[in-house]
Amino acid sequence: MEVTLRVFRYNPEAGRTKPSYDSWTLQDVDPTDRVLDLLEHVKGYHDGTLSFRRSCAHGVCGSDAMRINGRNYLACKVLVRDLNSTTITVEPILGLKVLKDLIVDMEPFFESYRSVMPYMVSDEVPADGKERLQSIEQRERFDDTTKCILCAACTTSCPSFWGDGKYVGPATIVNAHRFIFDSRDQAAGERLEILNEQQGVWRCRTAFNCTEACPREIHITQAIAEVKHAITSGNVD
Amino acid sequence: MTTATAPARVNLKPKPNYETTAWKWMRYSGVLLVPLVWIHVAIQDVIVGVHNIDINYVALRWANIGWQVYDILLLAFTFAHGMNGLRQVSFDFFQSDKARRNLSWIIFVAWLVISFIGAMAIIGGARTHLLEP
Repeated sequence: MEVTLRVFRYNPEAGRTKPSYDSWTLQDVDPTDRVLDLLEHVKGYHDGTLSFRRSCAHGVCGSDAMRINGRNYLACKVLVRDLNSTTITVEPILGLKVLKDLIVDMEPFFESYRSVMPYMVSDEVPADGKERLQSIEQRERFDDTTKCILCAACTTSCPSFWGDGKYVGPATIVNAHRFIFDSRDQAAGERLEILNEQQGVWRCRTAFNCTEACPREIHITQAIAEVKHAITSGNVD
Repeated sequence: MTTATAPARVNLKPKPNYETTAWKWMRYSGVLLVPLVWIHVAIQDVIVGVHNIDINYVALRWANIGWQVYDILLLAFTFAHGMNGLRQVSFDFFQSDKARRNLSWIIFVAWLVISFIGAMAIIGGARTHLLEP
């Protein structure tokens, strides 16, 4: 099949200071090709200056979140046939500063992520001196939110985040959820304090964009609701 | 297999702040609005009918303290729910803490003043004698 690939371009270092779009008509595209394959093809055979992030190319590292036909996807997971269109428009994720072509400045995203202490905090010495054991049910409680790969597809699909970049965003809340509901962790109270601030969970308006955008199919809106409930009830079981 | 008993994680509730209260208010007022609004719509638009509502009907309705309280609650809750939503939306456009604080106060005062005027109108009742020739 023939596919027209439109890609957002911006490269102030090379004089492309005004954002614009470049198009390529690609022949013999297989419907099971991934959008990343098309981008790699363009970069390899048509325009070596095209810039985008990619690393594992298997939906694990979370490097290549992009806005494809208006929706956030991982370019390495979405197939051409999934898009039901012979014109594919690829743009950088929204709400973060574009540095070059499809590459955005992820630092504000990671700064927000770090603000909720995304690591286990425990001063307790395990009973056997080695392991902090957990029941299957206790592990299951936060299983869904362990799947996050920090690709930022959720946060940059969130209208509240577009409106106000200081909002911590869904990815941060998901990663806080992962530790808040971990029975071994002892800093849940501090994380709830942080998320109870003005730029915390209360900026979420349950638009569900994050849940739709998540390439790992995490039930993000539900996780946010559970954190809201934990803040109002103090219950993290 | 043995599993350790996890340490009790209790008393984790953060001290409620303005945002917590505003969010709870949205939920509680939203739940309360469901019966308040639907009963209002059922009576005014279905049972009585909009074309049968005249000043005599309003006077009769507001002569009853129960309906006065009902209408004041309906006005105050609906308006507060909407104003709180407006406050949230406006935060997208006003991002400094000072602007947000001022805006929150302006919205709160507007809600208070207009709810007060509405409540006074309801308590004052419809004055049918003014219609007499």
